[in-house]
Amino acid sequence: MAPALTYSEEELVVLLKQQSQDAFNYLYKNYAGVLYGVIRKVVTDEQTAQDVLQDVFVKVWNNIGQYSTEKGRIYTWMINIARNAAIDKLRSKGEIMKSKIQTGEDAVYNVQKGMKTEQATDTIGLKEAVAALKPEHQTIVSLAYFKGFTMDEIARTLEIPLGTVKTRMRAAMQSLREYYNSN
Amino acid sequence: MNIKEYIESGILEAYVLGALTEGERAAVEADMVMYPELAKEIAAIEAAMQSFAEANAEEPPAHMQQQIWNAIQQQSAPQEVPEPQPAQEAKPQPKVVEFAPPAATARPSWQRAAVWAAVGVSVLTNFMLLSQRNKTKEEIAQMTSQMDSLKVSQQQVLAEYKKGRDMLVDTSMKTVVMRSMQPGKEMTGMMFWSKVTGESYLTIHAMPMPEKGKQYQLWVIQDGKPVSMGVIDNNLVANAGMMYKIPMQVKGGQAFAISLEKEGGNPTPTEVMAVGAI
Repeated sequence: MAPALTYSEEELVVLLKQQSQDAFNYLYKNYAGVLYGVIRKVVTDEQTAQDVLQDVFVKVWNNIGQYSTEKGRIYTWMINIARNAAIDKLRSKGEIMKSKIQTGEDAVYNVQKGMKTEQATDTIGLKEAVAALKPEHQTIVSLAYFKGFTMDEIARTLEIPLGTVKTRMRAAMQSLREYYNSN
Repeated sequence: MNIKEYIESGILEAYVLGALTEGERAAVEADMVMYPELAKEIAAIEAAMQSFAEANAEEPPAHMQQQIWNAIQQQSAPQEVPEPQPAQEAKPQPKVVEFAPPAATARPSWQRAAVWAAVGVSVLTNFMLLSQRNKTKEEIAQMTSQMDSLKVSQQQVLAEYKKGRDMLVDTSMKTVVMRSMQPGKEMTGMMFWSKVTGESYLTIHAMPMPEKGKQYQLWVIQDGKPVSMGVIDNNLVANAGMMYKIPMQVKGGQAFAISLEKEGGNPTPTEVMAVGAI
């Protein structure tokens, strides 16, 4: 059944602090899909992704007391917990280096291919926003957000100047913002 | 500091995308406190990443909900033995078939052709069988996952049914009827509330469907102040008589109320439709 009651961000915080199973069910029904989606973009293995999802919910549950609205939106807070936990898992499994090399190659390949949108869509798994992002922008967003690369690492992997990385990040996010504002 | 240049440099995007080092991130956070324009820009970038995350949402398997709740429950219990990791699936060893050394005598060409044709057919058949098997596997996986979610939803329905029965015999449960505050409009809702546990259930009896862009919101009046208990999904209005468990606990109050608000609700009620004193 679809949730019959919805809560604003502030109400959600109050609800979670009650620590009841109903609060958990509400949280899960409304956010599990988004969080799992983020995790799956980082770690593709389903079993690992499910382990991470569990860790993320436990973390959100335990740390809700420390969350305050001054720290920004709770939604962003949760997404960041999911992203960080997934990237940590990737690193702990020693997969990051492999993944870095692979993604690096893919990325270069995509940049070189430039126009081959299909390939680039695969790297980021971005189906609908593809019109909004140029392949080289997708690559940068994907490397940073889903693979945990710093700007420096991106610059070295793609063999482009640091300044270009920043400019592309700016341009990429500008197009995403435009895309979602007009939709 | 030139804020415009700062914003256009791309460093805020890098911040949201998590591509800064510890030091760089701390610097941005310090600047954010000083310059509200930066915080505003960051919020806008984050909102885009949120929409992006939503567009890429993927439902985890249905059994996860219960599994995670169990994990949350268990962590308060004394040291648990770590969950056994699923055994690594043994990789099937490739079958190696050794070719016999070719016979010394040359075979007639028609024989060779026949062998190659046979090999070709066999490869093709194997390929077809393999792809068929993969398809079947996919179908089985799909059905298993459907069964999985059916089982979970059945368990949920049963649990809710049991709760409903327990509630009816619970003497601490109060029934509060909310009646129309709008003359000439017939509107009723009911709240069942337990002061002991703070649990409550809502049933809409007869409320007109809100016009487009509007939604009903549920309130509890505590010491003269309305406290929101959430925005009511139109689904619940359409299904009059359906009992819905309110996720938010209520420890006390003098009245329950339903108001009509813009979609997504308001921090304070605008147009009160129905009220019931506790």
